[in-house]
Amino acid sequence: MKLLFLAILFSLPAFAGETTIHVKGMVCSMCAQGITKKFKAAGVDEVHVNLDEKVVHLKGKDMTDEEITKLITEAGYNVAEITRK
Amino acid sequence: MKAIAAIFFALISFKALAHPVMYQGGWALNSTNMSQYSNNYALYSFTNRFAAGFEHDRFDKINLGILKVNSLLWRDNGEDHQANVYLHSGIGFQDERKNPLVNFGLEGDWENRTLYTSLKHMQFENFSVSQGRVGISPAKAPFENLQTWFMVQAMVIHNVEDRVMITPMLRFFYQNVLWEMGSSTRGDWMLNLMVHY
Repeated sequence: MKLLFLAILFSLPAFAGETTIHVKGMVCSMCAQGITKKFKAAGVDEVHVNLDEKVVHLKGKDMTDEEITKLITEAGYNVAEITRK
Repeated sequence: MKAIAAIFFALISFKALAHPVMYQGGWALNSTNMSQYSNNYALYSFTNRFAAGFEHDRFDKINLGILKVNSLLWRDNGEDHQANVYLHSGIGFQDERKNPLVNFGLEGDWENRTLYTSLKHMQFENFSVSQGRVGISPAKAPFENLQTWFMVQAMVIHNVEDRVMITPMLRFFYQNVLWEMGSSTRGDWMLNLMVHY
């Protein structure tokens, strides 16, 4: 029974929680638009940019730090910090 | 009536602007129109440091068509600001002239959410253009909202019209669209429309 439970548990897709990225250099709408476009193209369902706090919130797809950093770099900016909940 | 026609023409003809280099895979379309000067271009950014495309310029009665390559030489992504230095280069044709012309330029900018400054110098073979801009935004609008800037542009077209053209303008941002409307101290209108895709 335990084995069955573990098998079901590990066969479920990983829960896509919320990821928050602190971005350096993101100071205008066009910066935010470029970042949004990159994450949408990568399959992220929800991308919300907060220019005041200089953060990008992602929901709907789990991504590694390396994948996130690559997309932010391709958009022309730098990652300061990535947090998840 | 002329101004209304010009606005209508700009709106239907161009979805535009852009920085000289954008994010990887991004398109930048720009149309700037003044009585003595116009600049229209379409650029594609292959990486976040390299873009190429086509540009049409008009300086008074001189017309140029240029294949452009722009490079981001340096960028500083700060906590609250961004600064850039770009290199412009191109090869193209001027009016009836048979030989191709070469064009180079340097552009630098510094901006945060309430202050914008830029300097640009473009060198052509028989003339050059210098341009500077300063802008302030009275409020930090969220990404989803319309943002408004008050801006002043100074521009000289050396060897064509050596007087400095001072143009105060209003700049508006809405997500990926930027448009500017102004009138020079000599009463010449200016319209600029830019879009990033």
